[in-house]
Amino acid sequence: MATVTFDKATRTYPGAERAAVDKLEIAIEDGEFLVLVGPSGCGKSTSLRMLAGLEDVNGGAIRIGDRDVTHLAPKDRDIAMVFQNYALYPHMTVADNMGFALKIAGVAKTEIRTRVEEAAKILDLTEYLGRKPKALSGGQRQRVAMGRAIVREPQVFLMDEPLSNLDAKLRVQTRTQIAGLQRRLGTTTVYVTHDQVEAMTMGDRVAVLKDGLLQQVDSPRNMYDRPANLFVAGFIGSPAMNLVEVPLTDGGVQFGNSIVPVSREAIAVAADKGDRTVTVGVRPEHFDVAGGQATSLANDEPAGVAVTVNVVEELGADGYVYGTAEIGGEQKDIVVRVGGRQVPLKGDVLHVVPRPGETHVFSTSSGERLSD
Amino acid sequence: MAAQTVPSAPSHAPPSPSGTAGPRRGGRHTVRRARSAIGAHPWAAACFLLPALVVLGALVVYPISWTAVRSLFGADGFAHFVGLGNYTSVFHDPRTLTALRNNALWVVVAPSVATGLGLIFAVLTERIRWGTAFKLVVFMPMAISMLAAGIIFRLVYDQDPGKGVANAVAVGVHDTFAKASSYPGAKPRIGGGLAPSGGGYVTTSAVAPGTGTAALPLVGVSPATLSGAQQAAAPTHCPAGAVCGTVWLDFTPGGGGVPGRIDPGEKALSGVQVQAVRDGRTVASATSGRNGTFVLPADKLGTGQVRLSLPAANFSAQFQGVTWLGPTLVTWSIIGAYVWMWTGFAMVLIAAGLAGVPRELLEAARMDGANEWQVFRRVTVPLLAPTLVVVLVTLVINVLKIFDLVYVIAPGSTQQDANVLALQLYLASFGGGNDQGVGSALGVLLLLLVLPAVFFNIRRFRKERTR
Amino acid sequence: MTATDTPTRRGPGAATRLAARAGGGAVRLGLLLTALFWLVPTIGLLISSLRGPADISTSGWWRVFTDPAQLTLHNYTELMGNGTITHALLNSVLITVPVTVLVIVIGAMAGYAFAWLEFPGRDWLFLLLIGLLVVPIQVALIPVTKLYATFGIFGSLLGVILFHTAFGLPFAIFLLRNFFAEIPRELLEAGRLDGAGELRLFARVVVPLGGPAIASLAIFQFLWVWNDMLVALIFANSGSAPLTVALQEQTRQFGDNIDVLSSGAFLSMAIPLAVFFAFQRQFVSGITAGAVK
Repeated sequence: MATVTFDKATRTYPGAERAAVDKLEIAIEDGEFLVLVGPSGCGKSTSLRMLAGLEDVNGGAIRIGDRDVTHLAPKDRDIAMVFQNYALYPHMTVADNMGFALKIAGVAKTEIRTRVEEAAKILDLTEYLGRKPKALSGGQRQRVAMGRAIVREPQVFLMDEPLSNLDAKLRVQTRTQIAGLQRRLGTTTVYVTHDQVEAMTMGDRVAVLKDGLLQQVDSPRNMYDRPANLFVAGFIGSPAMNLVEVPLTDGGVQFGNSIVPVSREAIAVAADKGDRTVTVGVRPEHFDVAGGQATSLANDEPAGVAVTVNVVEELGADGYVYGTAEIGGEQKDIVVRVGGRQVPLKGDVLHVVPRPGETHVFSTSSGERLSD
Repeated sequence: MAAQTVPSAPSHAPPSPSGTAGPRRGGRHTVRRARSAIGAHPWAAACFLLPALVVLGALVVYPISWTAVRSLFGADGFAHFVGLGNYTSVFHDPRTLTALRNNALWVVVAPSVATGLGLIFAVLTERIRWGTAFKLVVFMPMAISMLAAGIIFRLVYDQDPGKGVANAVAVGVHDTFAKASSYPGAKPRIGGGLAPSGGGYVTTSAVAPGTGTAALPLVGVSPATLSGAQQAAAPTHCPAGAVCGTVWLDFTPGGGGVPGRIDPGEKALSGVQVQAVRDGRTVASATSGRNGTFVLPADKLGTGQVRLSLPAANFSAQFQGVTWLGPTLVTWSIIGAYVWMWTGFAMVLIAAGLAGVPRELLEAARMDGANEWQVFRRVTVPLLAPTLVVVLVTLVINVLKIFDLVYVIAPGSTQQDANVLALQLYLASFGGGNDQGVGSALGVLLLLLVLPAVFFNIRRFRKERTR
Repeated sequence: MTATDTPTRRGPGAATRLAARAGGGAVRLGLLLTALFWLVPTIGLLISSLRGPADISTSGWWRVFTDPAQLTLHNYTELMGNGTITHALLNSVLITVPVTVLVIVIGAMAGYAFAWLEFPGRDWLFLLLIGLLVVPIQVALIPVTKLYATFGIFGSLLGVILFHTAFGLPFAIFLLRNFFAEIPRELLEAGRLDGAGELRLFARVVVPLGGPAIASLAIFQFLWVWNDMLVALIFANSGSAPLTVALQEQTRQFGDNIDVLSSGAFLSMAIPLAVFFAFQRQFVSGITAGAVK
């Protein structure tokens, strides 16, 4: 068991102008399950491969525990990796696949057997030990890949999108299994995915990357409640947060007919930069459908924003309304969550008000979070 | 494009992860990276390459350059620098010129015929249940040596129709369409009233129609071949104004016969064509019957004297088949043997390419109203074009280097007529010529001829890589 | 009125179907005849080899269909009693097997280096190799003769083996590089993470995964060398000559030696044909993979 530290680790591909991973700094606790998440090309896989030793590190350092592994060969790092396509040796049986690393390390045959059988028991693979990977289902192959990592009892598990080759149902099921297994083994794990749902449900902490730059590292809860910038706000959560650019006003920002309170300091910061507008973010579930009781600027109009319903997605317990609203003279797409019993019809007009304290304000120019 | 693919790689794993790190995809350095090192020590590459480099360097690269230099020196080693002299003498040597001409014939004919046949076979066998068995049969000669193929075709092309299957067939076909002559070697008895004329014979004296019978005695036919023939007889009822007569073998077994007279025991010659000629024009013709008699009908004869003629067709030598390995045909015959060996190669490659043509495209063309021929011509062939080019180029390279087949099939007497560059090189440098300067020049020439193929291959490889 | 309707409606359909079937039948017949045509030369040799020399010199092989009594193993017993031929057969084996092994080992090593190791000038070197694919062996005959004379291996089995190895390598490296390059990168990375060094990665991961390509290559190499005549004609002497050369020497008196030639040729074909029929699949996949030589 060990901590993992990325210390300003940088990777620049030969001939590329921009670093694929730029001065990455993350400190991963012993036993922690950290998920690296981001869109395609954000550098999350490269970061993982740098930790694995499959990718050169051009700057900074990577440490496992107290050991600097920056320039160590993969086999000397005491890590195990689960690949997206599992990378099982097609010419070896399941048992040989799982035991290959131990065999190379010169571990005694009987010991290999015991360890492989133990891992197989955990993963429910005992009856498949004699088979070749070709004769296994996708889910079983995935478990063999896990088993191959477990058998080695490494200090760190590395997982590179290990679920993306499974079908949707199996993915959800395996997600919990992997998370549970990791808790049980207590091995520090770095997990790469492009699926933010996977990230939020599995990680102790989540690190969001974009264009090789770390955006935020935090627990899933904090990540959701206090996204550090516009990108994280838009990336985490499904359906995504509504982000609307609105003009600055005294004592807050105007969102339709409502005023969203923002601290004076934050407004001052934005104004100092010369911004005339800020971006307000509201998650779909943080809209209240107004019944006239909310604060309204003009008394003759209903409070909040008028949203014309385009599509309604009914999910049973609740529903999502996809509509358009005129805000600041422009048509904006707005998503609102409504209760399952009060679903409006297509073409209806809803008046919605953001719930106080559940709004996020970001600088339009820098994307930084302005509200608390 | 099946012809360019590698046998399917381990298939359990899908291609490398997509949707992960962006800089890994697209752009030129990606290709490099995809193949790049996997953290190996630099000396590892050297160790893995060393044996190959040593062998290739010593036995391929070094010899090529040596040959290039050697081609500029005379027969007696590096003593005499002759510049391009060897090349000039090569191009003035009738043997080399024959070889070049033959090589040109080979390059034009052999690859295109093999590819064409291969295409036909591949397309036709596609939907036939025993197509695989057929392909196996056509493909089989690929596995045997050119020497064995040479021996096989020496047997096939044997001049004697009784032994060589090619001539047995040729004679069989010939005799089916042109009737075999009945009595090769037969000739009139001297003083028998018949004189030679244009390969056949004609009577020395003219006869007038209706003035009796004509006797046409012949000798020179072995009685043994006539064992089934009837006793010759004089014509009995000769219609008025007709000319009748008998053709027979004027030879009495056991002796005692009178020349010119039908003696007992003398055999009739049936099936002999007899023509009546007046003023050099054939006016009537008849064929001798079972007892040797013939009747030239009066209505055709008209009036006036005629001479009777036995045309050459009655006596021509038997058709002996084609001289496959003679000076004119030898190269064609050897090309035939080559096509026999290599059509299977073209067929298999084309069949693989055909299997790679998406069915939907053909179905779409049919939906667009194309008939089967149009589908083939407008969709299949264009899609197959890259395969066809690869097959053709491969065969051209192969044909340029042809040696064994010519060396084994061509008999000594026509080896010069069948000469090709590779054979001439062998003969010049090892087989008695002993002029290694000329041999080297020929080698360089051969190398230059395959050079375009090198560029073709490199381009193809580059294209495959960027794909 | 279905009774009258059905035939009229069926009429044209049946006609076209009949025409199509006739067309298909013609194609089938044509193919059948072609197959026969393709088989006749080989069958001719086989039957000839089973007839006595006297029969061969007087009549065609098809006579056995009317006179099966002509069939005899005389030629083969004669052949097996011929010391030159049996020795040549042994030489064929002694040349072909080592060449096949050498080409595969050296070729696989180089193919792996080209596919997965980084070294300066790699792309350039590989293009050169593609160029070597089509180099006619004739270009190297004279200089290698001299080279062998210098090292005293002219006329020896070793000389023949080395020459074949050298000219088999470009194709081998080309084929194996392309195959190895298709191995998913993750498998090699997994091997590295599992702690495998360069040699072990090669021997335990790359070579086993390259199995199909190596099998194709082995078959090809075997056939090429077994069937070669030119190389042995030049570099072997009477003691090291393989079967092809020994038989070739008999072709000068073709008619007189037809008994040994026909049986010998068939013997020389038997092994490649057995290989061919046993491994058609690998043979075909090898051909489709490397149509360049």
